[in-house]
This record gives sequence, C-alpha cells and structure tokens, in this order.
Amino acid sequence: MVWNIAKKEFLLNLMTFKFAVGTIVCVVLITVFMPILVGDYQQRLKDYNENVAANEAELRKVKVYKNITPTVYRPPNVLSVFSEGLEKQLSKSAKVELGGVPEISMASGVSNPFLSAFPTLDVMLIVKVVMSILALLVAYDTISGERERGTLRLVLANRTARHEVLLGKLLAGLVTLIIPVTSAFIIGLLILQFFPMVSLAGADWIRIGLIYLASLIFISAMYNIGLLFSCLMSRSSISLVLGLFIWVVFVVVIPNGSVYLANYLRPTESREKMAAQVKALMQERNNKIDDLTKTLRTGGSQAGAFGAFGNYFILMCEKPLMDDYRKKYTLSEPVRIKYADKIFELQQQYLDRLIKQKYLAHTIAQISPVTLYESLMSALTGTDLANFEHFRNRVKLHTDEAIEYIRSKTESFSSPAYFTPGKEADHLAMVKEMDRIEKTHADKFFEEVKKWYDQKLEQTPSLSLRDLPQFICGPESLASTLSRSISRVMLLLFINALFFTLSFVAFLKYDVR
Amino acid sequence: MIRQIIYREILENLLSLRFSLSLLLAISLFAAAGFVFAAKYRQESQDYWKDTNENLSSLSEQTNRLCDVARYQQTVYRKPKSLALCTEGFEKYFPNSFRFNVFSMYIPQVRRQGNFDLGRFSDIDLGFITSLILSFIALIFTYDTICGEKEAGTLRLMLASSIHRHKILLGKYIGVMLTLGIPLLLGLLVNLLIVISSRDVIISSGDWLKIFTIILLSLLFLSIFVLLGMFVSSRTAHSANSMVILLLVWVGLVILIPSFGRIISDAACESPTQAELQRRLAEVDKQNLDDAASGKFGKNAGSFGSNIVENPPGTARLVNARTEARNQVYEDHLNKMMAPLIFGRYYTRFSPTVLYQCASEAIAGTGITRFKSLYQQVKRYQQDLKEYVRGKDAEDPESLHLLCDHGQAISKWGVISKKPVSFDSVPKFQEQDLALGQSLKLAIWDIGLLVLFNLVFFAASFVSFLRYDVR
Repeated sequence: MVWNIAKKEFLLNLMTFKFAVGTIVCVVLITVFMPILVGDYQQRLKDYNENVAANEAELRKVKVYKNITPTVYRPPNVLSVFSEGLEKQLSKSAKVELGGVPEISMASGVSNPFLSAFPTLDVMLIVKVVMSILALLVAYDTISGERERGTLRLVLANRTARHEVLLGKLLAGLVTLIIPVTSAFIIGLLILQFFPMVSLAGADWIRIGLIYLASLIFISAMYNIGLLFSCLMSRSSISLVLGLFIWVVFVVVIPNGSVYLANYLRPTESREKMAAQVKALMQERNNKIDDLTKTLRTGGSQAGAFGAFGNYFILMCEKPLMDDYRKKYTLSEPVRIKYADKIFELQQQYLDRLIKQKYLAHTIAQISPVTLYESLMSALTGTDLANFEHFRNRVKLHTDEAIEYIRSKTESFSSPAYFTPGKEADHLAMVKEMDRIEKTHADKFFEEVKKWYDQKLEQTPSLSLRDLPQFICGPESLASTLSRSISRVMLLLFINALFFTLSFVAFLKYDVR
Repeated sequence: MIRQIIYREILENLLSLRFSLSLLLAISLFAAAGFVFAAKYRQESQDYWKDTNENLSSLSEQTNRLCDVARYQQTVYRKPKSLALCTEGFEKYFPNSFRFNVFSMYIPQVRRQGNFDLGRFSDIDLGFITSLILSFIALIFTYDTICGEKEAGTLRLMLASSIHRHKILLGKYIGVMLTLGIPLLLGLLVNLLIVISSRDVIISSGDWLKIFTIILLSLLFLSIFVLLGMFVSSRTAHSANSMVILLLVWVGLVILIPSFGRIISDAACESPTQAELQRRLAEVDKQNLDDAASGKFGKNAGSFGSNIVENPPGTARLVNARTEARNQVYEDHLNKMMAPLIFGRYYTRFSPTVLYQCASEAIAGTGITRFKSLYQQVKRYQQDLKEYVRGKDAEDPESLHLLCDHGQAISKWGVISKKPVSFDSVPKFQEQDLALGQSLKLAIWDIGLLVLFNLVFFAASFVSFLRYDVR
C-alpha cells in the first residue's frame, strides 16, 4: 500500500508547477554558476602554479644554507566550488625560515578587505536556498492540501493505516526532491569535468559523493519540517506561511544571528594584543642573542651580496671574522628555533580561542539544519578552519624538517657553508685584487671592484638541494574529515527523525474532515 | 469606498496568523539587535577613545620641535557611529585606521579585526531586517491578494458592485503597506528604546532626521515587494503558483543577485596584491634615483659629505618628488582595492536590495561611502597640518624653509624649524558627518531607481488586474 500511495503522490508531484519551476531554476542556476566558479578556481590554480615555479627557481639560486627561506603555498581546493568556506579568506602561503612561524590569518594586505562586503557564492548556496524552499513547497500541502481537496477522507476510508499514508508521502517527497538535486549535481560535475585544469582524485570523488549524500539528508530534513506543518494545520495556506517563516528563520536569521550573538557573548581578544605579545617575545629573543654574542665581532674585512629570496649573505671574509661568525651562529640559531616554537605555541592559543568562539556560534546555530549543513559542507570540502590548521601544522613540520636538514649539512650551524660560500683563500684573493685595482684603475675603483664582485658571485656555485625535504600538503585525510563530520551528520539525521516522528504524532490526531 | 477597502484589508491582515508571526519575528529581532548594538557600540567607543588618546598624547610629545610634529606618523581611527544601528554596511571588515604624517599617507589598515574564523556575516540591523525579513513578509502578505480572493470567490462579489478595479487595487496596496508598517515601526521603536536606554549611544537631532529618512526609504523599498506581490498575484489564477513564483523571484533579487557582485568584480577588476604594491614602490624609488643621477633636481642633490658642495634645495626637491610619487602609488593601490566593491555594486543595481543597501548606507553615513569620505577628510587634515607647519616654519629665521621628509637633512641643515610649538595650536583631526542634503545627493540615483521600480511594478499590476479574469 505504501508503494501505491508513494507512486500516486510522486506522479502528482511531477506534474506540479512548483516542481517544474524549481527544477528548471536549479538546473539553470548550476549551469550559470558552475563555469564561473570553476573559472575562478582555475585562476587560483594558475597563480599557485606560477608561485610554486617561481619559488623553485629561486631555490636553485641558493648559495648558502642560511638563505634557504622558501615560501610554501597552499594549493587551491577544487571542492571549494561546492562550498567556499574560508578558502579565500585565509593566507595562501607561508614562509619557511629558521625562527619564523606561519602567519595565522589573512594578514591585512594579503587579501582585499573590501571584498568582504559581498556575499559568497557557491553551489551550496543553491542547495541551501533554492532547494530547501522547493522541499518546503513540495511538503506544505501533502496532508492539509489533501484534506482541503477531500481526498484524504477517501484514502483513510479504506483499510490503509495512517502510518502507511505518511510513509508513502515521505517516500514520494524524497524521490521527487532527489530529481532536482541529482540533476543539478550531474550537470555541475559534467561542467567541472569539462575544464582542462581540473583533475579530481579518488578521495575527491568520495568527498563529492559525501557532499551529495549530505545534501540529500539536508533536503529531506527540510521536507520533514514542511510535512510537520502540513500535519499540524488544517489549511494548506497556513502551513505554507508557517513553513516559510521557519525557513526564513533557519536560512537568514540563525546563520547571521548566531555569529552576531557569539561575538557578543564571547568577545575574543584582538589580534593586536597577540601581535604585541609576539613582538615582546621577539625582543626578548634578540636581547638574549645579543647577550650571548656580544663578545663576538661583526665588523671586519668582508664582502657581501644579495642572493636567493632577497637575502643578504657574506661572499667572503677574513679568517678571524669567519670564526666569530661561526661561533655566533652556533649560539644564536638554537635560541631562534626555541623562540619560534614559543611563538607558535602563543599563536596556537589565540587560534584555539577563535575556535572556541566559532564553536559557541555553532552551538547556538545548531537548531537550524541550514547552519548544520553549512558547517558539514565546509568540513567535507576541506575549506573550514581545521583544514587551515592542518596546513599550518604541515608548514611547521616542514620548517622543522628543513631546519634539521640544514643542521645536518652544516654541523649544527657551525660550518662556514651555513653563511658563506667563500673560503679563506677567496678573501686573500680579494685583498690582492683590491690592491691591484687601486694601483692600476684608481680613477674607476668602484666600477672595477663591482665588476670583480659580480664575476665572483657568478662563479660561486649554487648549493645542490636535491635532498631538501619537499613540502607536500594534500588535503586533510578522509578519515579525520569523517570523524569531524559524523556528529553533524548524526544531528541532521536526528532532525529528520524528530520531525518525522512529530508529524506522525500530529497526523495520528489529524482531523480529516 | 476606497477607505472601506483599506479598512477591511487592514482588519483582515491584523487578524491573520502571518501578521502575528511577522510582528513576533520583527520585534524579537529588533530587540536582540538593540541589545547587541548597544554592547558593541560601548566596546568600540572604548577602543576608539583609547586609541585616539594614545595618538594625541604621542603627538603632544612631539611638540618640542616643529620638525617632529611634521614627521610624526599619526594614526586616525574610525569613530563608531550611532547611525550604524540603521545599517552597518560591513564596516567591520573595512580598514579602520589611517596612518600618515604631513608628507605621506599610507594604506589604511584593519585594526581590531574580529574572528576571521566566523566567516562573513551581516549585523542584524534595520537594513538587514528590512531587506531580508520584511521584504519576505511583504510577499507573504500579498501573494494571495488577488488570486486568493478569486479562489475564495469574494472578488466576484466585490466587482459585482459599482467599484472601479483601480480603487480595489489601490485600497489593497494601501492596506498592506499600513499593516507592513506596523512590524517595521514597532520593532524599530523597541530597538531605539533599548539603544537609548543603554545610555551609551547618543542620537543627535540630525541623526533623528536621518533615521526618519531611512524609515521612508525602507517603506519605499518594501513597497516594491508589495507591488511585485500584487503583480504576480494578478497574473496567476492560483495562490499556490503565485507563491512559488514570488519565492523564486525573492531568492533571485535578495540573495542571488547581491552575490553576483563578487563574480562580476572578480571578472572585471583585479584585486591588487601586496607584492605588486612593493614592486611599484621599488620602481618609483628607482625612477627617483635615476632622476637624481641625471641631475634633474640639481647638482649633488641627495648627497651628504665633507668633500662635496651640498645642495639642500636640491635634496628637498628630490625627497619631495619621491614622497609625492610614493603617495601616488599608495593612493592608486587603495583605489584599486576599492574598485571591485564599487564596480560590483554598480552592476548589481538591477536588484532593489542592492539599491536599498547603497542608499541607506549613503544616508546613514556608513559603509564604503563613509570610508571614502573619511579618507578624503584625513587627507584634507593632512594638508591643513602641512599649512600649519609651513606657517610656523616661516616664523623661524634659522630654518631653511624647505619642507621635506628627510631626517638627515633636518638634523644637518635644519630644513624645517626645530623650535617648540604649543600643542593647543596644532590642528587636530575631527570627522565631519555629511549633512542630510549632501547624503541625499549621494543617494539620489539609487532612490530614483527605487521609485522607478515602484512605478513599473505599479503599472504592471494595474494593467494585469484590469485584465484579470475573476471567475
């Protein structure tokens, strides 16, 4: 019997105006949005590739170990077309250097603050707004509409049990709604495949599958809410109005209001305060290094140049100065590494506070399936803060690896290769050369010296960094994404079950006259 | 007769479920907004005065020497505005501190940025409630005005008597507008009462006038949706179909089109990067050095030393040329940063929501218009301060009267006076709000377009209703 009812209801739904309009709008929107969004992704990918290539090229020019300060980039996430999340807001790169820590937010200037005035646009917006409205529209008159038409009486006059009727309606509604969701997804994915630069890995397909499932669960939750109002009210127009009010509260009020409230209930300390603490730590570090190295000289006969990544290094210097430099770096670099860890810790605490505030906003917003769905989507697509933390931790790990590599190559920073490619003989040659130039070309002294320097710089070989650890930052592992999203999926399923149970109770008492 | 229709319409609406629901929603939102706004305003004012006083006290420490006053980098902060309770205009994301000295003006920075993890959100204010909630309620009120009465059979009865169709339409329009005004005005009243009773926010008489204007603007905006609802209602035979169409139109106008702004601006203008700024600055500096080497600023300009003839006027020319060029680069960069927002807003103006947002921001003096005006005001203040320094400098016979931003030139030659000045005579920055007339002038096109939307939808609904089949 359930099947008969479901089939009848489904066929009826297919013929309705709302279904036709809703499906067409979804499909049209996805065909319009998708190329724009993917084009945007391609642009970001191109920028990323260029940046990585430029970084590699620069890395080939490194002449001393001290100058290994590459910048690593966060690869753009292809799934951000489904849910943008924080993808565009957070910093896309981090500098790997001894004593440095990855930046934690959009440092002002990195991204354009004025763009925040625009709402975000992604595939999730279509599901969240258009499809959830469609779900309500399909659901609002399932019971109350049949009562108005008088057909409900006829159905219940037979031996059909009430729960069968309701189950049939639920099934029919879900099957009806699967059609626009699925067609939108298929069209979207076809368009995505059409772009040459987009390549989807196996894990991406699993994620897309999960996104599809999450969207279905969300849509079904919205349908169940509509069903409840349909069972509560005797007139379909009233159930529609009620449903729409709830919809506007879920879609518009709660997502904005929860954040607004969380900001008010748990204000976070400003970034400036954290920055000041970092600055104080840096000061402390510099003082410590100054104390340790104050007996050592930094002046003397030497020649320097600017090398890779715009870093200065010493081309050659006299023997006693070189010894002092060696002592200096042996003493100072461990201190810088230690303080980098401290600063990382400090920033981590700040980040944790931000996450706590986010968690509060999230808790407030959990009454709305829309916000649940939003956070689920950004977790599944890998555009939420946890994924950014993953990147940050990877950078930290990579920095540690790079430092370890440098340490192993330079005998704990004590080898001259750490700061200069020059040998003692080079310095002697330099002194000799200066004397020669001063005697022969006294009038063009600086030009000649510069020429000699440039020549010398060219002759200096670059370091072979083949065995330098590579930075690889894939997305977070699927398992940890799943473990984070499972509670939200459960909650969404619970909302489904709750509203269906409520509608069941309401329908048992429903006056069919 | 028309009065009777209005009266009937109002009574019917007042008794409906949708009215009580919308009243409840509007009042609770407005009340929550009032509390949060008052707390936010208090916090922001504290921060603002703390920062501003810090800046002023540092400035007063510089008054021992005029040259220090000229070279000191002041920071002006954006003052929290009481009218932000009407519309906040995403100011929280915009740069809010302006650093400058008499010679240079840098890129404004975002200070006290909130939690970036929370993502973008709108403050719940009058603009938000009107454009997203009340516009929706307007559609819920009107989706069945014509076709609902047809379905109920009452439209036939009404038209059987000697009433003109246009009177019915007008009566219904006025009736809905009046009922819709109740949640708006009552909610706003609650909001204002909460905000005023917190005693932190002071609303001046000029502000009251602006609030009144924004209320009128909100009604003008809502009237578009009422007319739209009546139009669609008089095009369809079933109220369910009318609702479907209206909802999709609403989603398009209110949610989708404003989001298109980002896409449009991304496609049309490129956001400048920090690296590009640095590159351009380096270019400008190099150009300046080349000019100096080619003797554009005079012989030995920019050189110091015992064995050459020094050239203070040349050095001043050189330094000023560089400062000028760098200022230009900074300003270009800032303009490029703002361009996407302005451009995206401009091309999404076929949505009444964007029009309403722009117009109310202009009148309340928040958002991007405020930012632009504040930037101009800071620049003007910078010029005033420069004139002041120039005037004071002229009084000192020991100075060379060559204003330039160069420490060595000042200490060695005394190109700017080193005499003390009194702190009271130094001009201080004061932000001026635009008068209502000026802000209206800024918003005139937006308001005109809103009126046009009204007229178009009114004409459309009028024509459709005249031809409506009442059976």
